[in-house]
Amino acid sequence: MTKGTKGPDGSRLKPAEIGTLGRRTFLQLAGASALAGGLARPAHAQAQTTVRWWYHYDNPQNTPAALVAQFEAANPGIKIQAEAIPWGGGTDYINRMFSSVVAGNQPDCAMVRLSYLSRFAQMKALEPLDGMLAKWDAKSDISDDVWKLNRAPDGKQYYMPLHYVVIYLYYRQDLFEQAGLQPPKTFDEFLGAAKALTKDGMFGYGMRGGAGAHDNWGPFVLGGGGSFEKGGLLTEKALAANRWFIELATKHKVVPPSAPTDAFRQIVDSFKAGRTGMTIHHIGSAAEVVGALGDKASAVPLPRAADGGGWTYFGDESNAIFSASKNKEAAFRWISFLSSGEANVEQAKLSGQLPITTSGVKSWTGHPKRFVDASFASLPIARTLPDSVKTPDFVGRVLPTNMQRALTGEINPDDLMKAVDQLFNG
Amino acid sequence: MNHATVRAATPYGFLLPALVLTALVILYPVVQTVWYSVQDYILYAPDDARFVGFRNYAAALRDEVFWISLGHSAVWVGGIVFAQLALGLATALLLNQSFWWRGLARALVIIPWALPSVIIGLMWTWIYDYNTGVLNDILIRMGVISQPFPWLASPATALGCVMLALVWQGFPFFAVMILAGLQTVPRELYEAAEIDGATAFRQFVHITAPGIAGIVATAVLLRIIWVANSLDVILVMTGGGPGYATHTLPLYAFLRAYSGMEFGSAAALALLLTVMLLAIVWLYVTRQARELDA
Repeated sequence: MTKGTKGPDGSRLKPAEIGTLGRRTFLQLAGASALAGGLARPAHAQAQTTVRWWYHYDNPQNTPAALVAQFEAANPGIKIQAEAIPWGGGTDYINRMFSSVVAGNQPDCAMVRLSYLSRFAQMKALEPLDGMLAKWDAKSDISDDVWKLNRAPDGKQYYMPLHYVVIYLYYRQDLFEQAGLQPPKTFDEFLGAAKALTKDGMFGYGMRGGAGAHDNWGPFVLGGGGSFEKGGLLTEKALAANRWFIELATKHKVVPPSAPTDAFRQIVDSFKAGRTGMTIHHIGSAAEVVGALGDKASAVPLPRAADGGGWTYFGDESNAIFSASKNKEAAFRWISFLSSGEANVEQAKLSGQLPITTSGVKSWTGHPKRFVDASFASLPIARTLPDSVKTPDFVGRVLPTNMQRALTGEINPDDLMKAVDQLFNG
Repeated sequence: MNHATVRAATPYGFLLPALVLTALVILYPVVQTVWYSVQDYILYAPDDARFVGFRNYAAALRDEVFWISLGHSAVWVGGIVFAQLALGLATALLLNQSFWWRGLARALVIIPWALPSVIIGLMWTWIYDYNTGVLNDILIRMGVISQPFPWLASPATALGCVMLALVWQGFPFFAVMILAGLQTVPRELYEAAEIDGATAFRQFVHITAPGIAGIVATAVLLRIIWVANSLDVILVMTGGGPGYATHTLPLYAFLRAYSGMEFGSAAALALLLTVMLLAIVWLYVTRQARELDA
């Protein structure tokens, strides 16, 4: 049984409501002024405290050294020991984090995702930030919707929002124009475009069946009517949506034959090399896509089902402080610095994602505008994954394994849905 | 304490550091794994762990994926060790010949063995890549295939492709071991056989093979244990996929432990593999003891 995230009135939100941010919120984000500059300054200096912080960036060559230097100059008593942890599709990072908690060797603070929250809660691994946040002036520079999204089921705030991405659809606008196509708004238009683009060694859609498969499966299956509630994946509507998605490979053959094991690197490289006409990822890969394809590549929100239903993955990233840390105050200064003003903008540039602050969004020039617009326009259907201890296993093992078996014809598509339902509700 | 007691205790005193170290780094983790395997131990809920007896083992034996993984493990070990032995033997026989760059060849052949497994996994992943892989490119240019083939995404070929990468990595071990064995075979035996009119094949069967049999047997036993336990190259190349196509028993145990955090079930899976390998370990230890006694 999945646990629900609570809404502002304390009521449990339905999955469809979790993680949704409206356009209005973004207008508010964009309309706010720079509030956070200088607010991360220390109230008082501490004597030689070392804060261990775990982070990951998609581009491993990026380093937070400049941010660390800036912070340490303003906080002479605090030294930041920033440790890059391999992401490995999320699995490597999370494995190391949980192992470190069990071994008692966890850092003071680390970058975390909402899908870990239930496991952390069960381990009582995190420090509630409510007391420290109440005294933090720059809190209002982060939208209330974001704070609500990050709130734990027990009503406490363990996460300091850092930056985010929304999964959208990359497409080759030059090829669409040549074929007289419009970017797809519905599943049917998506299939039509994928078929039209599949020719001469090119495939219409670069599907991700390897690590991270959930952000390709979700838009079509959850957007098509499936849900993680008990039995929600086994309704005729959900099963039909999943069959339609699997048939993109098995029947229509509009995806490369390598799709079952293609992960981030393969889908982005194939799109850049002109081997696929559409693919699904977020703004984090915009720079390299533009570097390879220039104006030929653009992005739009993911298509919706015939009934208007839609789903896309809200890729959250926050910082949290571990309850075992002996340097909680210093750790809070560091993570609040990263979520404030210019530092948050710099941090977003390093991660390739979007800043979380209203002021940062207003001045954001880190990505070409069309990709930022596609991210914003995707927010009405943006959701998080279920807040459940089973979610990491869904992401890391159960979905990819069963989706690959369905894509290669080893099992019936319906068996994939039964396996996921069994994991969450069995 | 009299002199005789001290004298009798002295050897144990010398052994003590090694015994303590072995107990700490081997015995303790083994005992802990056995303890985990009889508990319902989930890493994110360590306080809820409870004793379940042999239920994890029973669940493993009822699990379809366990049997799929066990089957793959058998193919994996048998195929890789056999291919490595054949390739290693051929390489050793070649390197035992006289040619002017033999020294360089002996050094070069070690390279795959010296490379880290992760590098080998990544290297072969790109060789097999659907879009940019050199294997597809070569086969298309040769006219063998007309379209690229998804080597690692096809259940029919994925396990074989990963096995090939490991064969390439491990054959130098056999080559070096067998080469060392070949050099201990007295030249006079070959000269005598030649005078008696023995063909090259008969010389191999009656002189070379018996001369290197001992070292080959030891190398095979060691390699079976190492290959049966190895999962790093699979993890890098396919992560066990597509589906369960490249799941072996240690990889399945690893995924249960680190994706599902089910340490109790994973420990039971790992111990089942260990029990199966104990027969090989027993053979190896017996051989070593016999060689020491000889």
